[in-house]
Amino acid sequence: MASIVVADGHEAAATAPAQRCFHCGDAVPAPSRWQWQVGDAARHFCCGGCLAISQTIDAAGLAAYYGRRTGAGATPPAIDEERDWGGSDADALRARFARRDADELEASLLIDGMSCGACVWLLESWLSRQPGVAHASVNFATRRARVRWRTSEGSLARLLASVRAIGYAAHPYDPARRESMARRERRASLSRTAVALLAMMQVMMFAVPTYVASDDVAPAQQALFDWASLVLTMPVLVYSAAPLWRGALRDLAMRRLGMDVPIVLGLAAAFGASAWSTLGGGGPVYYDSVTMFVALLLVARHAELVARHRAGEAIERVARARPAIAERLVDWPRTSVGESVEAASLVPGDRVLVRPGAGVPADGVVVEGRSHVEEAVLTGESRPRAAGVGDAVLEGAINREGALVVRVDAAGDATRLAGVVRLVEAAAAERPRVARVADRIAHAFVGALLLLAIVVGAYWHAVEPSLALPIVFALLVVSCPCALSLATPATFAAAAGALSRMQVVAARPDALETLARVSDVVFDKTGTLTQGRLRLVATHAPAVDVAAALARAAALEAFSEHPLARALRDCAPDAATTAARVIVHTGQGIEGEVGGTPYRIGSLPFVEALAGPMGAVLAARLASIPPQATVVALGSVAGVEALFVLDDAERETAGEAIARLHALGVRTHILSGDSARAVAAWSQRLGAGEARGGCSPSDKRQAIADLQAHGAVVAMIGDGVNDAPGLAQAQVSVSLGSAAPLAQWTADIVVLSDDLSRLPLAIAQARRTLSIVRQNLGWAFAYNAVAIPAAALGLVTPLLAAAGMSLSSLAVVLNALRAGRAVRRP
Amino acid sequence: MEVMIVLIPLSVALVALVGAVFWWSVNNGQFDDLEGPAHRILADDDGARASDRSSAP
Repeated sequence: MASIVVADGHEAAATAPAQRCFHCGDAVPAPSRWQWQVGDAARHFCCGGCLAISQTIDAAGLAAYYGRRTGAGATPPAIDEERDWGGSDADALRARFARRDADELEASLLIDGMSCGACVWLLESWLSRQPGVAHASVNFATRRARVRWRTSEGSLARLLASVRAIGYAAHPYDPARRESMARRERRASLSRTAVALLAMMQVMMFAVPTYVASDDVAPAQQALFDWASLVLTMPVLVYSAAPLWRGALRDLAMRRLGMDVPIVLGLAAAFGASAWSTLGGGGPVYYDSVTMFVALLLVARHAELVARHRAGEAIERVARARPAIAERLVDWPRTSVGESVEAASLVPGDRVLVRPGAGVPADGVVVEGRSHVEEAVLTGESRPRAAGVGDAVLEGAINREGALVVRVDAAGDATRLAGVVRLVEAAAAERPRVARVADRIAHAFVGALLLLAIVVGAYWHAVEPSLALPIVFALLVVSCPCALSLATPATFAAAAGALSRMQVVAARPDALETLARVSDVVFDKTGTLTQGRLRLVATHAPAVDVAAALARAAALEAFSEHPLARALRDCAPDAATTAARVIVHTGQGIEGEVGGTPYRIGSLPFVEALAGPMGAVLAARLASIPPQATVVALGSVAGVEALFVLDDAERETAGEAIARLHALGVRTHILSGDSARAVAAWSQRLGAGEARGGCSPSDKRQAIADLQAHGAVVAMIGDGVNDAPGLAQAQVSVSLGSAAPLAQWTADIVVLSDDLSRLPLAIAQARRTLSIVRQNLGWAFAYNAVAIPAAALGLVTPLLAAAGMSLSSLAVVLNALRAGRAVRRP
Repeated sequence: MEVMIVLIPLSVALVALVGAVFWWSVNNGQFDDLEGPAHRILADDDGARASDRSSAP
């Protein structure tokens, strides 16, 4: 649909004649610095504002506007170009694609034309060899290359050109374009598969008479069948099998052996011999084998393609939530004049207007307005949350109702969403060790197979020349390295998609592998098993109605911003009760009149000073309250009315998560800096296996090292800086979406939704993924161990070989797809 | 069996025709979404759907 063309200044000067702005019709100052691909032509713009508007229109799929409109577009609010964009034009645009790291830039490139896992290797090696490139990694699932290069030596334009030079097309990443690319790829794959299947059906029909009653078929009829088959096989070979040819040619051009090479050799040999026979040379024909082989193989590849797209979409969803354009208020609060700018160019302190329905462009605090925001992409929670003045909002949140003015605290790469996107991209860009090893084995396998084919061909040529060709064909076709090259990466891609649908990101690809072997999970307490904030856990009010007592407490606490007051307010049943003549006694409590009666709320001595000593029932209850909890008393002149017990709230799913981990056979441990007694109480309540309190950060590390010394594979889940040594020591480190950025950066796995019960699910998913990979490799080994010797001995007809190989690859790919299904109960 | 001479080219032509129709329908987007239309036919509130679409990011 659209792509940005980042124009180097001098390049644009050479190509751009004097012209009118595509959006507003103003003259474009030469050299044209603003270009944007709309439809099939690069359009030029007079300023960044017009460009941004046009991008928005185009991204919404409304570019037809430009074809239908009769007048020029609205002129954007006047922007002093030199002030807003001058000098850094390329930077502002590039901010969408490239990330600055000291003197290095990093960009995500979308790669067109990747057909197999081997392309990953090719592109990675090729890109790494380009001048200035420090690092390149390619993700097969999302078709993206992440390239980091030194600005002094390389440029984005040169990188794109270099990718084109090896037969791929590369575009700076842009979600809209990606979607249309995926659709094109899916349609092409479907057409090719359908053509091959139709041709196969018909060619089989012509072949059957020869098989069942070859004596009754007259030579003239046979010739007719052959010619018809030839005509039907041509499109299969030329059109349907085109990706196979391209894959093989690319492999050969790079002097390496991918899985397409033996396939194509077999196809060429079989079709060549058949065509020769039909044209009068005599001998058998193999049209049926050729068409069936291509058709079934394409079915398997189509299944793999669909799985990859689905996995990619789940991953994309996170990245797509980033708004591209922000409306910056230049002179707020004096006027509310806005200007459209790239969201990435915002700086902390800017005020931005977020209209209803729009995404919040940066992390910040609401300074005006009241609305509900939806943060589903970050938390998985689709229920909107109220946001008023003083509330923090995160980039990517969707504003539901009212317009908000937000003061930017973090923008661009510094936002939480940007961090998540980077994590996701980094995770998707690398392939797990298993997949890399499998690919290397596949190359060796193909090399050995070709050698074997030459030897076997030479042998049969000497012994029985008429059998040499069908046997070599059968041998080339029957072998199936698909479990290695095709199914293993597909399994991991499908698993990554399933995980990200449950808001779990495996930030390092090997993490999934290690996660499957985890035997012990170590939890931090505060902030991980608990929410790290106070909550009302019990109310003791033997003489009065609990709800009424709470309402009175909340009415009094409405005048305080103390955490205890907030916790009580959150639990209040209604806001109808109000307090009057309120005096806040700092450090003690609050005094005021509720319904005309003087009340006090706060520490017990403070309340008893008004209410007198509390009764025996309450005193007995007080004794039973655990020592780590905080007690707030409420009383009037009539006596102490209620005791509110506040404690750190456990995460809702903590107990469930621990129970499920036990069900998976995983031991659980709690290591906390809290007092041993409090930790033991928590451990008992949640049912955790072992608990240790009073741990310093290095104690945690040592405790994990001790577990590892006994052969345990440890996953640690923690949230803060004090957990960092433990997280580093554990084989798998897990952090929650709300954790400190530092903990997220070092984590192998991030649970974005803060839902601990996703952890056992992720472990179950990882185990299933690994077991699927093992099943596929086991199947491939068994199949090839039987099929290849049989084919070499001449026991396999070409038709049987074609059927066997394509059904085998279909089986491993379909098995791989199972990894994409979410596990429900571990 | 002279009829074969007519029938076999005919079958080849038919396959070509089916292939062409299929190719057209694929490129026409008939196979892009195999689940959506099944739900869409149940939702007869076209006005609401149109506004959903226009407010999508």
